[in-house]
Amino acid sequence: MPMRDRLPIPESGYMQAVVGGGLVATVLFLALASPSTHTATLRLAVPIALAAIGGIFAEKSGVINIGIEGLLIVSAFTGVVVTFRLGSGESTLLISHHWWGLLAGVLVSTLFALVFAVVCIEFKADQIIAGLAVWLIALGLAPFVSRIVFESPNTATVGTFDNVTVPVLSELPLVGYLLFDTPPQVWIMLISAVLGWYLLSRTSFGRWVVASGENPKALDTAGVDVRKVRYAAVLLSGVFAGLGGAGFALGQLGTFAGGGETDIGGRGFIAIATYLFANYHPIGALAGSFLFAGLDAIQVRLQAAGYAVPTELIRTIPYVTVIIVLVFVGKTRLPEAAGENYESGED
Amino acid sequence: MTDSGTGTTTEEGEAARGGTDPGSRRTADLAVHLDGITKRFPGVVANDDVDLRVERGSVHALLGENGAGKTTLMNVLYGLYQPEGGRVVVDGEERSFDSPRDAIDAGIGMIHQHFMLVDTMTVAENIALGNEPRKWFGLAVDRKRINREIRDLCDRYGFDVDPGATVADLSVGAQQRVEILKALYRGADVLILDEPTAVLTPQEVEGLYDVLEELTAQGKTIIFITHKLGEATHAADEITVLRDGKSVGTVDPEGTTQDELAEYMVGREVLLEAEADPCETGDVVLSADDVVVEDERDVEVVSGIDLEIRSGEIFGIAGVDGNGQGELIEAITGLRTPDEGTITFDGEDVTDWSRRERIDAGMAYVPEDRHKQGLVMPFDLVENGVLGSQRSEEFANSGRIDWNAVRDHSEEIIETYDVRPPNPDADAVSLSGGNQQKFIVGREFERDPDLVVATHPTRGVDIGSTEFIHDRLLELRQEGVAILLVSSKLDEVRSLSDRLGVIYEGEFMDVTDPDDLTEEELGLLMAGQRPSENADADASFRGDGSGASGGRGGDGRDEPTGDSA
Amino acid sequence: MRDRVERLLERLVRASAVERIAVSVAALFASILVGAVLVFVSGGFASCRTGLELAGWTFCYNPVQVYYELFLGAMGHPLQGGWSPMNYSLATTLQQTTLLIFTGLSVAVAFRAGLFNIGTQGQLVVGGLATAVSVVYAAAIVPGGLVGTIVLIPIGVLVGAIFGGLFGAIPGALKAYADANEVITTIMLNFVAVGVTSTLLSWQFQDPNSSNPQTQPVPEYAEIPTIPYVGFGGRMDFSLLAFAFAVALMVGVAWLLARTSFGYELRTSGVQPEAAAYGGVDDKRMVVSSMTLSGALGGIGGAFWVLMVHGRWLENVPELGFDGIAVSILAGNNPLGVGAAAFLFGILQSGSRSIGTATDVPPELVGVLSGLIILFVAMPEFFRMIGSRYVGVERERPARADGGEAGSDDGGDADA
Repeated sequence: MPMRDRLPIPESGYMQAVVGGGLVATVLFLALASPSTHTATLRLAVPIALAAIGGIFAEKSGVINIGIEGLLIVSAFTGVVVTFRLGSGESTLLISHHWWGLLAGVLVSTLFALVFAVVCIEFKADQIIAGLAVWLIALGLAPFVSRIVFESPNTATVGTFDNVTVPVLSELPLVGYLLFDTPPQVWIMLISAVLGWYLLSRTSFGRWVVASGENPKALDTAGVDVRKVRYAAVLLSGVFAGLGGAGFALGQLGTFAGGGETDIGGRGFIAIATYLFANYHPIGALAGSFLFAGLDAIQVRLQAAGYAVPTELIRTIPYVTVIIVLVFVGKTRLPEAAGENYESGED
Repeated sequence: MTDSGTGTTTEEGEAARGGTDPGSRRTADLAVHLDGITKRFPGVVANDDVDLRVERGSVHALLGENGAGKTTLMNVLYGLYQPEGGRVVVDGEERSFDSPRDAIDAGIGMIHQHFMLVDTMTVAENIALGNEPRKWFGLAVDRKRINREIRDLCDRYGFDVDPGATVADLSVGAQQRVEILKALYRGADVLILDEPTAVLTPQEVEGLYDVLEELTAQGKTIIFITHKLGEATHAADEITVLRDGKSVGTVDPEGTTQDELAEYMVGREVLLEAEADPCETGDVVLSADDVVVEDERDVEVVSGIDLEIRSGEIFGIAGVDGNGQGELIEAITGLRTPDEGTITFDGEDVTDWSRRERIDAGMAYVPEDRHKQGLVMPFDLVENGVLGSQRSEEFANSGRIDWNAVRDHSEEIIETYDVRPPNPDADAVSLSGGNQQKFIVGREFERDPDLVVATHPTRGVDIGSTEFIHDRLLELRQEGVAILLVSSKLDEVRSLSDRLGVIYEGEFMDVTDPDDLTEEELGLLMAGQRPSENADADASFRGDGSGASGGRGGDGRDEPTGDSA
Repeated sequence: MRDRVERLLERLVRASAVERIAVSVAALFASILVGAVLVFVSGGFASCRTGLELAGWTFCYNPVQVYYELFLGAMGHPLQGGWSPMNYSLATTLQQTTLLIFTGLSVAVAFRAGLFNIGTQGQLVVGGLATAVSVVYAAAIVPGGLVGTIVLIPIGVLVGAIFGGLFGAIPGALKAYADANEVITTIMLNFVAVGVTSTLLSWQFQDPNSSNPQTQPVPEYAEIPTIPYVGFGGRMDFSLLAFAFAVALMVGVAWLLARTSFGYELRTSGVQPEAAAYGGVDDKRMVVSSMTLSGALGGIGGAFWVLMVHGRWLENVPELGFDGIAVSILAGNNPLGVGAAAFLFGILQSGSRSIGTATDVPPELVGVLSGLIILFVAMPEFFRMIGSRYVGVERERPARADGGEAGSDDGGDADA
């Protein structure tokens, strides 16, 4: 058994170059940026990384879920609203209302993913258009509901998760404040990346997902129901995106602005660029999300520092980076059957 | 069968039944019995009350022309289609398969013409797909066990495949063995092979025959779908012939001549007489000079081809699909830029010309893939009639298309080339494949070209229209058009071509008058061997490659001449 | 005889235009229905004095009233007394219709070329700023009055088209030459457009007499003129001339697609790129040119937003580009359908203001409705299933060639 089978190390030269460059950038970033920028990066990576991991499952199975931005929006918004309604800072059944909010956010996101899956798989809708619809519905629904509950497109503030602090370990340099004195959504993100990688590469379900996206007919003739696999994969994308959106809102923002592009502000689309960049590797997507989150954290710092550069221009840095990345990863091979509806031999 | 006791769990059932010696088959021991199967699709009856009886441990060929309903029948047996009428009996038990899963469970495996493999996955992953053994309470795939089981199967049937290799890196023949292993891994006793030789080189075909022999020797039953007479008579113990969705009958290949079989298949005696007067050639219209083409993966697929076609000449290219002829044609027609070499057309260097410029200069092209290239499927025939000419003076005036002129033109094509239904407003997608092809051929032939590049011009077309297309090709040649013909039908290229180039791995093995080559020699050249190098290999090609033509068999060209080339 | 009737029926069923319209209308009704449920249910969570009491819950919102305000409010309540067609609400509706025709056409042209231009919004933002700035600067050297109108408006529209076109060409070129997915790049470029225009505004073009982020106003004579006595008044920010121009442009685009070599090549590239390449179309150039045309149409939308509505460019640009996606999809990407779809979305936009004033229902409802319309239009199969259940019309088309089923006649058993 070759080594690459056992370890999540990419095999192609291109990916090795990316990984190498990433490592150098990481070292420089850790050395030059401040600890607060480090932690900000980790937290800002949460919605991007989790949405990307979810997107990987959907797209690998052959369903391009461009509505992942919408899933982030609804889960973030739902998380805040449910926490607010239950009463923030209190708990039910010994569980903090923030966690109930997170759960609700994941449920609603999964529900949206289910609608998207039915529309794409059952009714053979164009995946891109249906994904756009999910995004636009979320974009309208969040401020709509917010106005009913809060009489404003922005929600009230509910506060964030408490940091999980591990007594001794949190004293360690670097990893201490990065990993052992950190809000729970960061751990959710890290665990999800490993879990996603394991599911995709080690279980039979993962193999079916890959086959369903590359050659659905092969999977069908092998006796596995392509529809079920795709449903499961899309629902999974809803779960991961829900964790990302609600985790971001409840762990980082503590509130949700539903006006304009909302607080999510295109992070779902950045997530798509991220997993293309990472060539559909969940752990690679985690690393890629650090790139965009790091840029985001740096632009926040630059704005706060009040340099002469206009803030509006700085804010475009992550978006421009996405375009540059897409130009370089243009060669990322999409799964052979991605975007195509699959019809079994006979209906 | 001595080792059957040591087989893995999936094979124990087979071991219990496997005592049948192929030599002492009883007629009653049927592995598969299809009784009166009827299967309809919108507008077509694909199978009409078809019977098929397959004895255990035999190779049974299902022979018929394209569209005779062979694949549909096998898809019924494999549970992909549900029949409207009839019974499926496997091992004496009546079955109803709702999905391939049911068929797999009943011990049926199918090797599709287009392999059902996931190219990006490894051999082991493909073989176990959908049947992965698990460990850790189902939380992980037991990869060691898969590899062990594959190795056992390989030992048993004498296969040589690396379970860790990625499928995309394997040769076509090896991929086919992976498909067979996949079926065996699932415990298949009955293997259906759909046109298994279509993509193989003659050597790989020989290898396949050996595999089939080994499989039947161990008690497996093979159903072999083919449209090639030679293969059916060579490999099968029994042959069932299908025609137009009906079964014509089952025959023993020993007691039947190829002419008779051909007649069963086609329904009337075929005499392919496309011989024409010797050509009167004029100037060189097209020449390719040391053309090298690399494909998308930067693999060199055309390695220095030279050719010259004169006006009034048909130049044929024969070869097994995938030996660079597709890329060569694309380089000539302007869909691909050659990496080296020059292409000259009507005396001008057109190597860097766009496709548009080449069309305007008088190059007509019947493409290989009519669904993707030749026709715009959602457009009607009027709109398809102008494809390629949308900027030519005939139909467009300062950027505007004269749709009335286009409609007249399309109606003319429809009438002349007998496209049915004769309705210019019909969408291309609604036509049958043969009629689509006739429309493309018509559009390209009527372009008033200097050069016609025709790839598989009669693929999927009925006999009557094939003859018409051949006649038109010869008329064009008579009119002084240069013609480059690529076809996988050997009798077609041989009888129509004035000169024939045999392509193998991107190079011409030989360019010669087709009448100077026997079928054996041609077969060897297509396999990359020069006849003189290996004179004793010709026996293995007996009957192979004779295509659907029965009329070709007895014309006395079969003795090797040895001194050609 | 029976054959003929059957053929006629088949033609009717297969007539894609009829089917498209049916799907769009059905999608519209389905969205309104789902929207009504949403309004009603969400009314259960709102607080109000009076509402429908049901099982202990108070439902504050009445969907019928909401739709009444939405559709009739957008016309200025024609069923009430004293109605004049030249009212402010109808002017807003037609103003939005005009702008949405431009953005809808922009999206439709790209769609027909097989490209998803989600970036019409950004192209509109960039084109609009370019229009405002160029007209303000040009006004300094061009005489005023009628001459100014005749010179400045074409300049403004042209500059908007050029800049919108260039901004649209960027994702086109990235797609053609670097294979970068245009859906993502255009969405990213929307954000970039906002950032870049805001920066330019604060550096150079900010109106010194205002604290709002906006450019200097264009001279009044450079705004799109209204027709005296016939049209809507000047204060309604709507001009029938602009509307007529939009309709003419719509017919022009339809003609371009249907009748010209370029249009034929564009459509062929959209449905089957391999066939287009076979037919002599340079696919890379087609991607760039269709995105440029699409961007130019978005830029013209921005120009009219500036010259007709505000007389200047404001940083806070309404989401006309995103609504253009909904318009185009509802119209089946047919340029002539864009007119009808734009009118419907004009009603939604204008009606949302009427909802905002006359009811407590949040006007963001309209955003949800447009999303729902896109979702339903995207699944014609859904309506076909419902249709075939009640009407009993089965699709007569043979299965698509790439699905393999049609191969049962002869396509699939390719030889050798």
